[in-house]
Amino acid sequence: MSDENLRRFLSELSRKVDKSKIFTEPEELYSYSLDASTEFKQPPAVVVRAGSEEDVRAVLELADRNRVPVVPRGGGTSLTGGPVPAVPNAILLDLTPMNRIEVNVDDGYAMAEAGATVLEVDKACRQYGFFFPPDPASSRIATIGGAIAENAGGLRGAKFGVMKNWILAMEVILPGGRRVRIGEPVYKWRWGPDLISLFVGSEGTLGVITKAWLKIYPLPEKVVRVLGVFDRIEEAGKAIAQIRRRGYVPMILELLDRETIEIVNESLGYNIEVAEAMVIADVDAPRESVWRIAGEVENVMRECGGRTSASDDPVEMERLYMARQGAYAAVTRAYPGVLLEDITVPLSKLSTALKELDDIRKEYGLRMPVFGHAGDGNLHPNICFDPRDEEQLRKAREMFLKTGEIAIRLGGAISGEHGIGLAKKELFLEEIKAVRGEGYVEMVRMIKQMIDPNGIMNPGKIFL
Amino acid sequence: MTDVIPEVVRFAAENTKEVGDVLGIGTDKRTRWARGIVERGPVDGTIFYAGEMYPVMGYSEGAFRMLKRVEGLMSINDLAKIGPIMRALGIYTVSINALWGSINRKYERALQDAVNVLKALGVSLGYLFEDEPPSGVALHTYGLLREFKEHADWVHRRLRGLGVKKIITLDPIVATAFRLYYPEFVRDWSIESHHFVEVVADRMAELGLRLNLGRKLRVTYHDPCYLARTLGVVDEVRFILSRVEGVELIEPARRGVLTGCSGDGGLELTQPPVARKVALDRVEELSKTGAELVLTSCPACMLMLRTGFESIGQSVDVWDLASLLAEAMNNVERGESISPSFRRYNVFPKSPHFRSLSLRDLSEVLKVETDRCKKCGFCNVECPTSKAMDRLESRSSRGRVTLINSLVSGDPVRPREVLDRLYTCVLCGRCSQECPAGLHVQELIVYGRAYSIYSGRIPEELLD
Ligand SMILES: Cc1cc2nc3c(=O)[nH]c(=O)nc-3n(C[C@H](O)[C@H](O)[C@H](O)COP(=O)(O)OP(=O)(O)OC[C@H]3O[C@@H](n4cnc5c(N)ncnc54)[C@H](O)[C@@H]3O)c2cc1C
Ligand code: SF4
Ligand code: SF4
Repeated sequence: MSDENLRRFLSELSRKVDKSKIFTEPEELYSYSLDASTEFKQPPAVVVRAGSEEDVRAVLELADRNRVPVVPRGGGTSLTGGPVPAVPNAILLDLTPMNRIEVNVDDGYAMAEAGATVLEVDKACRQYGFFFPPDPASSRIATIGGAIAENAGGLRGAKFGVMKNWILAMEVILPGGRRVRIGEPVYKWRWGPDLISLFVGSEGTLGVITKAWLKIYPLPEKVVRVLGVFDRIEEAGKAIAQIRRRGYVPMILELLDRETIEIVNESLGYNIEVAEAMVIADVDAPRESVWRIAGEVENVMRECGGRTSASDDPVEMERLYMARQGAYAAVTRAYPGVLLEDITVPLSKLSTALKELDDIRKEYGLRMPVFGHAGDGNLHPNICFDPRDEEQLRKAREMFLKTGEIAIRLGGAISGEHGIGLAKKELFLEEIKAVRGEGYVEMVRMIKQMIDPNGIMNPGKIFL
Repeated sequence: MTDVIPEVVRFAAENTKEVGDVLGIGTDKRTRWARGIVERGPVDGTIFYAGEMYPVMGYSEGAFRMLKRVEGLMSINDLAKIGPIMRALGIYTVSINALWGSINRKYERALQDAVNVLKALGVSLGYLFEDEPPSGVALHTYGLLREFKEHADWVHRRLRGLGVKKIITLDPIVATAFRLYYPEFVRDWSIESHHFVEVVADRMAELGLRLNLGRKLRVTYHDPCYLARTLGVVDEVRFILSRVEGVELIEPARRGVLTGCSGDGGLELTQPPVARKVALDRVEELSKTGAELVLTSCPACMLMLRTGFESIGQSVDVWDLASLLAEAMNNVERGESISPSFRRYNVFPKSPHFRSLSLRDLSEVLKVETDRCKKCGFCNVECPTSKAMDRLESRSSRGRVTLINSLVSGDPVRPREVLDRLYTCVLCGRCSQECPAGLHVQELIVYGRAYSIYSGRIPEELLD
C-alpha cells in the first residue's frame, strides 16, 4: 500500500464522511497508538470516528477500493494488541460514537450499536429487572463490538458463558461496504452455517460489527457469597472442579492464589488473611433455596480442605470480595511490567495446571500471582517484571510461552477470553499444530480470502 | 523567545504576575469588598485571605457571558490580544467595571458574609488589603511552574514579613495551593491554610451551635472538586447544614468525593464552549434535586453554575454557603460542645516527586510515571471533559496520559498541540480516583503542561 493509495482514500473519503470525523494530526494518531496490552505501539495514518453505519460503509468501500488496511477499535482495552495497527498507514476506525441502546423487554433482547459499552447495556437492562450477563472486568469501557470481536467473558462466565452465548443477531459491514444481517432478534432461528460464530472472536479481521441484538436475563432473586480459604492450592483447584462436577453452577466461581493476596495487601494496604488460595463462589437461586445451596457449596469446599464463610449482607459480601476486586489494581500498581496470561484448562486438570504454574514461578524466580475465572477453567497468571531489566524481560517472555504450553499440553486453550491479537500469534500456531489438524490454518485463510479478498481488515492479527 | 502557550494563557499569566489577578482588574477592586468590614493586618497571626479570584469573579463571569455572544466572530485568543491594547489606552478597568461591576457585587457579598460569619463565631482575623499577595495559583494551573515557583517564593517572604502564620480562605483553589503546592515548591513553608468550611464546622461544634434560617428552604450542595476531592473536606459541610434549622439538604447524584465538575479549573478561559458543556451536565443534575437554592463553596464553581442555570433557562440561585450562614446567624442558639469526627478523605494516589523543573528532570519523572499507565481507560469513563468532547481519545484522560508519554518519549508529537489537548482538562481529579495503576493523573497533566511549555520554547536565534 502506497502513500498514493492513502491520499486517494482520504480525498474520496472527505466527500462521503464529514470532515469533523476524520483526524490526521499526529497527536490524534498517537493517542490511538496503543491498547491495554501496552506491549505494541503503532499510530495509524488516519483516525475515522464513525458516527453511523453510512460512515462505516464509506470507509470500508473506499478502503477496499484503494487497498488501505482498516483496524476497527472499540474501547481499546484489548490485552493482546487487537486494535493496534500491525502495519503503518492503517485507518483506525473508532466505533465509540455509535453507542445507541434500545431494550425490548417484551421480546427479551437489547439492541446495542457496536460502540455502546457493555456496562451501559447491562445498566439499561437493569431498569427493567433484567441484566446482561457477560461482564468483562473492563465492561465500563469495553464495547459490544470489541467484546463480540474478542468473544469476551467475565466473572459471571461460570454460569452464563461468554459473549457468543448471548447474541441473537448482528449487522456487519464487509470489506467493500456491503451490509449483512446475520441471525434474527428472536430466540430461535435456524439456518446454517452459523455465521454469528464466524464473527465472534474474529478480532476485526473479517468485517466491522455495527450493531447486535443481545439476549437479556432476569436479575437473580437472591445471591449468597461463599468464601473458601485453602492451605494448598491444589485443594482449591479440586474444590472448584468438585463444585462443578456435583452439578452446582454458581454465577461466579473465582480463584486467587497466595501471591495475589500478598500483593493486594502490600500494594493496597489491606489486611486480608493470607492463605495458599482463596475461592469465591456467588450462589444465585430463589430465596427459599439459596441458603441451602450455598451451604452445600460450602460443604464441598470443606470436604476439599477449605475453611468457609458465607454472607448475603452487601457490606460483608464486598469484604469477602476485596482481594479479587483489588487484584488487577494491586498488580498494576506494584509492577510497571505485567504480562497477563489467559489460559483455559479442562476442570479435571485445574489442580495439575496450578501445580505446574507454581513450578514455572519457582524456576524463574519472578512473581506471578494467579487469579481468574477458575470455574471455567480460565486462569490469569500475571507475570510481573521490571521492563527496564533485560534479564527479567527475557524471563517474563519465556514464562509467558511456557504458561501457554501448559494449556496446550493439558488439552486446554491458550486464550480463554483475551484473544490472540499480536501477543499470542506464535502460541496460537503452536496450539494449532498440536491439536487442530493441518487443515485448520488453510480453512480459516480460505474464509478470510473469500470475505476480505484484498486483505484490508486488521491485517497481521491472529495469523491472518 | 517564542512560546507555545496560547495568547489567553499568556494574558492571564502576565496579569497574575503584574496586576495580581487573571483578568488584570487590580488591587483597588480586589480589596473594595473589605472596607469597613474587617480590620487590617494579621490578628493573632491569622488572616482572612480573599485571594485573586473571589473578589473579582464577577468580572470573569461577565467576560465569560460576553464570550458566548461573540463566539464564532472572535476567538478567546483574539480577545486576549485586545486586553493589553485597552490597558495601554487606559480604558481597560474602567470599561470592565462599567460592564460587569454589578455582577461582581454578588461575589463581594460572599466574602463579606464569610468574614461576618467567622467574626460571629469568635474567630480572630485580619485582612491584608493591598498587601495581600496573590497566590499565583493560575500559574500552577496553566503549567507555568517555573514562574509559579518564583512567585511562591516571593509570596512566602512577604507573608512571613507581615507576620502571617495562618490563612483562612473562602476559595478552595487557593486553599489547595497553600496546603499542597506551596509546601512542594517553597522551602520551609510553614503557614497553615484552612478553608472557611473547616473553620466554621470546628467552631460550630465547639460552641454546640444551632442556627435558624427563619424560613423553610430546600437546598442542594455542589461539592467543589478542590474542596471535596483534593482537600478531602466533605463531612464538614453536611454537619454545618444539619445544624441550620429550616434547611433541607437534597444531595445530587454525584456528591462528596465523587462530585461532578462544574467546568472551571481554568477551562473557562482556555476552552469556554467545552467548559459550558461540562457546566450544563452538572446544572441539569443539580436541577433534578428540585432544590430552590444551590449552595457551593468556590468562586469558580459559582460562576459556572450561575451561567449554566441561565443557559438552561432556570432561575435557580447559586450562593456561597457563607451567605446562607450569614443569614442564619441572626438566630443562634448555643448548646453543649460536641466533637463530631470529620473524615479527611484521601482519594488520590501519592504525588510523583520532581527533583527540579529542568527539562531533564521533568521528562524523566513523566516518562516513568506515564509508562505505568496500563491503557485500561477506566479514567476516561467519568472524565467530564472527555464526555463534553464526544470521547475523542486525545481529549480524554487516558489519551492525555498517552500524549505526555509520547512527548517525553520523542514521538513526533508537537509541544504546542499536546499542550492544547492538556489544556482541555479541568484538573478535577476524577480520573485519579479510578486509576487502578495509581497514577496521579491531574498532577501529571499539570507537569505535562509545564514540559510542553518549556520544551516548546524556541530561542529566537534558532527560529530560522
Ligand atoms: C482491566 C481489564 C480487564 C479485562 N477483563 C476482561 C475480562 O474479564 N474478560 C475478557 O474477556 N476480557 C477482559 N479484558 C480484555 C478486553 O477488555 C476485552 O477483550 C474487550 O472485550 C475488548 O473490548 P474493546 O471495546 O475495548 O475492544 P478493542 O480493544 O477496541 O478491540 C478489540 C478487538 O476487537 C476488534 N473490534 C473492536 N470493535 C469492533 C467492531 N465493532 N467490529 C469488528 N471488530 C471490532 C478490534 O479490531 C480488536 O481486534 C480486560 C481488559 C482490561 C484492560
Ligand atoms: S483528565 Fe482527569 S482531571 Fe482532567 S478533566 Fe478528565 S477526569 Fe478531570
Ligand atoms: S486509569 Fe490509569 S492506568 Fe488506566 S488508562 Fe487511565 S491513567 Fe492509565
